Amino acid sequence: MARMKFLCDADRCIECNACVTACKNENDVPWGINRRRVVTINDGKPGERSVSMACMHCTDAPCAAVCPVDCFYTTEDAVVLHSKELCIGCGYCFYACPFGAPQYPKVGNFGSRGKMDKCTYCAGGPEDDLSAAEQAAYGSNRLAEGKLPLCAEMCSTKALLAGDHEMISEIYKERVSKRGYGSGAWGWKTAYKETINV
Amino acid sequence: MSMTKEETRPDRRSFLKALSVGAAGASAVAGLATPVEAVAAESASDKRKKRYRETDHVKAFYRTNRY
Repeated sequence: MARMKFLCDADRCIECNACVTACKNENDVPWGINRRRVVTINDGKPGERSVSMACMHCTDAPCAAVCPVDCFYTTEDAVVLHSKELCIGCGYCFYACPFGAPQYPKVGNFGSRGKMDKCTYCAGGPEDDLSAAEQAAYGSNRLAEGKLPLCAEMCSTKALLAGDHEMISEIYKERVSKRGYGSGAWGWKTAYKETINV
Repeated sequence: MSMTKEETRPDRRSFLKALSVGAAGASAVAGLATPVEAVAAESASDKRKKRYRETDHVKAFYRTNRY
């Protein structure tokens, strides 16, 4: 059975943030929330690496384990989704998630957080597929349309892979066998000279 | 003097009562008038169903990511 996963090829990510912008636009993500973001390590130094991060759709999701109203569910495609109808905005999932995926709009009075929002793998929510209610609450449902998440589909350097875990791990394996890791990557020695190792 | 006070009180109260009844009525009417927004939610099995399909679109994505 196909299991949906994201895989970011850190040797290819150039920190352009197009995935972040694409996600926000496609899903009408509210102000103050980024379902996806690019994390850069050693910024501006030799050995700089960027990774595009979002919900990793964990097999045993810690957010779902701590939710007091049980608003999370995992689909047969192994995508972790949640119901905004059930969410009470307690913030437990935010503390439980190691990737900082669940976020809150912070629009309520008296410090209330509002309904949690996170990456849906462009698979909508518990409302009817491709309905207006689903679009308004969760954004687009590209998976139901026979497509993949837009962040991965429009990655200019093809760094962000999405889809069936077997397929994308095979693609990544092919890349690594051709170019090698880190300093073995194409163009690496031209850009950073031979003396720099990662 | 006290008599006149007694007379005026009920009037004031009735005014407040009428106001509250009116407000409650108005809200009830408003509640009836606005249609309850029915969010078409999927059943427990439907929302978990498989949505991923290896369409031509998806195959093209895999193909272009190989190089």
